[in-house]
Amino acid sequence: MIRSWKFWGVLSAIGAVVALFAYGFTVDPKLVPSPLVGKPAADFTVQQLNGEGALTLSDLQGTPVLLNFWASWCVACRDEAAILQEAHLLYDVAQNRLRVIGVAIQDTPEKALAFAERFGKTYFLALDDEAGTIGLDYGLYGVPETFFIDAGGRIQYKQVGAVTRELIRTMLDEMADEMASPKQEKGS
Amino acid sequence: MNHGSWALSTPRLRAVFIIMALVLLAGAVFVPAASVPAADDEALERRVLEITDQLRCPTCQAISVKDSAAGFSRQITGKVRAMLKEGQSEDEIKAFFVARYGEWILRAPKKQGVGLILWLLPGLAIAAVGGWVGYVAFRASRRGEDEPEGGRHGEIGEAERDRIERDLRRFEEGF
Repeated sequence: MIRSWKFWGVLSAIGAVVALFAYGFTVDPKLVPSPLVGKPAADFTVQQLNGEGALTLSDLQGTPVLLNFWASWCVACRDEAAILQEAHLLYDVAQNRLRVIGVAIQDTPEKALAFAERFGKTYFLALDDEAGTIGLDYGLYGVPETFFIDAGGRIQYKQVGAVTRELIRTMLDEMADEMASPKQEKGS
Repeated sequence: MNHGSWALSTPRLRAVFIIMALVLLAGAVFVPAASVPAADDEALERRVLEITDQLRCPTCQAISVKDSAAGFSRQITGKVRAMLKEGQSEDEIKAFFVARYGEWILRAPKKQGVGLILWLLPGLAIAAVGGWVGYVAFRASRRGEDEPEGGRHGEIGEAERDRIERDLRRFEEGF
């Protein structure tokens, strides 16, 4: 039976709306692609929180960097604390293949240091200023967020949420190849 | 008791009047000077509110930076204020945040490219529905004009018309 054009028009409209909803259920609205992936990492200089001295990100060019943003009040940051410390000991201290840096945001030196001590963090830790200069430059939505910066100083990947051992291993292998094409972010 | 002579003749009271006059004079001199930056601050804060109202709070659901008290929103507000003080334009400030957060940070889509479709779609939908309703109404009115006087009897069969007329007669006769 051949239906009228009105029937097919209404059916198409309903189909389009259902398809839109179906697509919406497959997408995490909290995951917003970062425009910073594939671009040079914003440079900054910070004082070490858990030691003496300062660090300028651009001085680290030649070695891939794992730049982790965290806070003492962040629950997910507790989950990844041991993983980051492990990565520091294995890939930074033992193999000199990766620099691990942690920048605490919206925090106080006392609370950040207490957190670092509690979770045994010994890698370079710093504190973003009250204005959130570094956090805003990296377009943070929350913590933890981790940027993998290749040896050329380019952001290769942004992780929203806690990192995993597998992610760090994979990114380290990928960043070893300078010609690796930039990837989009994924959340956990 | 002579209040007038007491009030003006006492040297101590005269000194009080002189001090009060000096204070008022100082106020007259300094208040306008202080009010200039206050007016500037007011204008600046108005601009800060205008711009932060157009930016999405990164950690909230569907709330502007202006309406949010979240830490990130406060930092974005501070950055907007600092950039305005540096003399940067609204477009430059928005471009700064779009470069770091993407178009997502803007609460209203840009009026170009795909964003332009989003702006035009509601208007086009209203125009389409309005046009269709108008067309249907026009057709209905034309049909009414085309009807012969007394209505479209052709749509009712002879038998039915007879039955209606019979019923009407019975009704008028009171059964």
